[in-house]
Amino acid sequence: MVFSYRPFLVTILNSFHTVSIMGERFKFVGLENYSRLFASQSFQDSLSNTLRFTLFFVPANMFLCLSAALLANRKGKLATLNQVFFFLPLAVGLSSSMMIFKMIFNPSLGIVNHLLGTSIQWFNNPKAAMALLVIAGVYLDFGFNFLLFHAALRNVPKDLIEVAQIEGASPFQTFRYLIFPLIGPTVVFVLITNIKDAMLISSPVLILTEGGPFRSTQTLVYQMYLEGFKSGNYAVGSSIATVVFLLTFSILLILMRLQRRRVYYQ
Amino acid sequence: MRFIKASIATLFSLVVIFPIIYTISASFFTYADFTSIPAKLLPSSFYLENYVRAFAETSLARFLANSFVTATLGMLLRMGISIGAAYAFTFFTFKGRDVLFFVVIATMLLPSDALILANYSTIRTLGLTDTYLGIISTKLLSPTHIFMLRQYFKTMSREYREAALIEGCSDARFITTLLLPISKAVVITLGIHSFSNIFNDYLWPLLVTNKEGMRTVQVGLTMLGFSENLDYGPQFAAIALLMIPIVIAFIIMHSPIQNSVSSRFAGR
Amino acid sequence: MKRLLALLLLVMLATQGLFALGQEEAPEAGVSTLTWWHYGSGLAGKAIDSIVQEFNETVGKEKNIQVNAVFQGKANDVLTKTKAILQSGSTKDLPDLAQFDGSAVLDIRDVPSLIPMEDLAKQDGYDLTQLLEAARLSVTYKNKMIAMPFNSSTILLYYNKTAFDEAGIATPPTTLAELGNVAKALVQKDEKGNITRYGFANVPTTYELIVWLGQQNGLSYITDNENGHLGNPTKVLFDENGTMVNFLTRWKDLYATGAVENLTSDVNGAFASGRVAMIVASTSKLTTIHSMVADRFEVGVANFPAVDEQATGGVNVGGGAIYAFDNQSGNGDAAWEFVKFATSPEQQFNWHIATGYFPVHHDTYSMDAFQKHIEENPHYRVAIEQLMESNPKMQGIWVPSAYQIYYAFQSGILRMLEDDLSPEETSKALAQEINGYFEEYLRMQGE
Repeated sequence: MVFSYRPFLVTILNSFHTVSIMGERFKFVGLENYSRLFASQSFQDSLSNTLRFTLFFVPANMFLCLSAALLANRKGKLATLNQVFFFLPLAVGLSSSMMIFKMIFNPSLGIVNHLLGTSIQWFNNPKAAMALLVIAGVYLDFGFNFLLFHAALRNVPKDLIEVAQIEGASPFQTFRYLIFPLIGPTVVFVLITNIKDAMLISSPVLILTEGGPFRSTQTLVYQMYLEGFKSGNYAVGSSIATVVFLLTFSILLILMRLQRRRVYYQ
Repeated sequence: MRFIKASIATLFSLVVIFPIIYTISASFFTYADFTSIPAKLLPSSFYLENYVRAFAETSLARFLANSFVTATLGMLLRMGISIGAAYAFTFFTFKGRDVLFFVVIATMLLPSDALILANYSTIRTLGLTDTYLGIISTKLLSPTHIFMLRQYFKTMSREYREAALIEGCSDARFITTLLLPISKAVVITLGIHSFSNIFNDYLWPLLVTNKEGMRTVQVGLTMLGFSENLDYGPQFAAIALLMIPIVIAFIIMHSPIQNSVSSRFAGR
Repeated sequence: MKRLLALLLLVMLATQGLFALGQEEAPEAGVSTLTWWHYGSGLAGKAIDSIVQEFNETVGKEKNIQVNAVFQGKANDVLTKTKAILQSGSTKDLPDLAQFDGSAVLDIRDVPSLIPMEDLAKQDGYDLTQLLEAARLSVTYKNKMIAMPFNSSTILLYYNKTAFDEAGIATPPTTLAELGNVAKALVQKDEKGNITRYGFANVPTTYELIVWLGQQNGLSYITDNENGHLGNPTKVLFDENGTMVNFLTRWKDLYATGAVENLTSDVNGAFASGRVAMIVASTSKLTTIHSMVADRFEVGVANFPAVDEQATGGVNVGGGAIYAFDNQSGNGDAAWEFVKFATSPEQQFNWHIATGYFPVHHDTYSMDAFQKHIEENPHYRVAIEQLMESNPKMQGIWVPSAYQIYYAFQSGILRMLEDDLSPEETSKALAQEINGYFEEYLRMQGE
């Protein structure tokens, strides 16, 4: 806790002061740092990029991981093989997978363009770069999310499903009315962590796109890193950190309120 | 229907696995293979130089050892703390419990990079630089895991616990003999997650260790030449080396997960 | 449960103990051990190791100095680590020497524990004019040389010589106007009219603009306080002195030829794959680009094209330098010995061969082995001659919020091209944005 809270409070404190490049706090300036921040084009870009990314990433991720879990939820050797394949991405670390992606998505020399038969400028085209980020983000979370969904699906009592099928329910109906509610808590959890990961996304940006091209993939946390670490603008960095925290917090708060009414706990 | 499901699943899983296969293949690429146009999928030969270089140019073995030790220790400690905390949050009632829980969860939202410099001075004052403990100390508390475990524990009926307590079972025993075996799937999953989390950390171990002998493998990877000059060979070899034991471990461990979960229902 | 905990504790203690056992033996008495933090990886890393090894076995042995070179990650990581120590105030833990690149200067140059190289040199009676003037000036702050240039590079034009021959172009372009003409002649299209090969690819940013703005009229400054070398810049000068408008006008003309692609990353890859016929890049990329291109086509290098005929300033020296810190160990003199060794003619020659960075010592250039080397490698000769012809006062800019400024330039220029804005508007907008960053920085320092 020491490690999480003290720095956090220091951060908030900093955001209300001017801080020199060496980290010394000078004078209290109240909300001035924030008003400058919100007025800056760079921040507006980060905000819009991060929100757009979240909008693309969360549904895509949820859909892909859940589908994978559902598809692999069968009996048999082939199914087992599928399951194992699906959570294998977890074995590849963050930096390793990003390095791999950097190579395979290289527009001229990478293998993805070759296999797809296209020449998409993954790093030079803003839309493609955003897509790349989403792909990278999904890949990073995929193994873990799949495992969770898989475990949750396995906990759904088979007898209930059989009963439903005997009663003539279609697979879609079975899913919607039976399975989905029963894996509710897990879905909520995955949704929450996904949103949090999306809002806080920074490593793929750091390693793959570095905010480019033309700042189209600069996210909030990446800007914080730029300002705080690289440029020594600690006050700005702290302000961004606080904003990110508040923003994500509010989104999740709203979600948790909603979830309390709808999710079924045994 | 089953057939459609199976084929889509298989196709999908192959895509997911592609980067891993590519890495293994690429670890045998020569420099020319990497820069060839059109891009290659298979190496031109069994080029082992990359592996040789990966080991010769850095103390890879030592790095791997360091990573393993810190990751294992960290995982054990973290799981211990998380399980204890989740247990308390689920089954005990005390004033301010929900507020405290919320507070813990809130820390989940803090970007860890913001806290790095402040944490570094704390670690220095404690004299923990260049130690294993220093490397894992910031990772000990994982609000995500506590959150997850609590979600899971909540699906357990309270009557179990009350019955056990009446029978004279202490909390500690309850955890070890009843709660854990049932939660095996989740615990193992989170354990794996912890392990890979700590194992893959880059910036923090870089900051906290100065002696080369204490470096972890992620930092060591970058020593093999960054992507600037496209000399990816040794890097891919190192990545492959890293990946393979974990991949194998996962494949092996995958059965116990399945078994433990199904045995729960079989026993009903 | 308790047993598990106890076991855990035991394991923890055991590993701590193990580590303590594994401690390096205490340094022998009387030997000064220097720590040097660097960011050389791959080829550069190997070259650094061999310099250090040779020092330790020769001069080091004589004078009882041993150097320990520690790789600390990327250039920015070395800075992060050093900053962390500086901020926590424990200067004892500072390394004796550290290699930083240009982006670190703002953080380091005013630090009390920094020992300016010029002071160390003077103490030893070392004649600073032995160093390449341009390199020396590139690390001069308030008229004092604060670091020792080490991995120096400049910028070059790389072109596809095979394509040139096919198109019948005999000489590489020397100005932006010529660049436009040549680029147009090199464009290739497919049957559908899509461009398969561009003549040139670049969206200028700080790196290129330092030269393109700085070289105009013999020498121009981009910001006041001599590009930040005399103190904190307070405003930009490129709008007042008209260099930006001049450059943007030329650039717009260049872009109007339709032969330029707005690439910002993987430019080398595009060149190597034949998608772009000319690019600009650092001299330190020479070896890399050659290997990437392999035998697909012949690579040519030429001087970085000038803005126009009055832009005679040439190019500036960029790259990294070695800084010395006072960590209360009294190793200042020992540190200087090593730095002197590493920048001596012989060592700089080896360094150059291994990495392509410029030798910073004058005498390397007159060595026979060096002469022979550049005869056999004409590409290096072009780079060196370009430097020799340049105005040594061309300096890089030391500015705060360097990354934001980098994007500001790129985005501003892109907007001008895509929205067809005028050079005057663009110059004003850029000046406004960048001045804003300076203002913010000064506000933070309490000035």
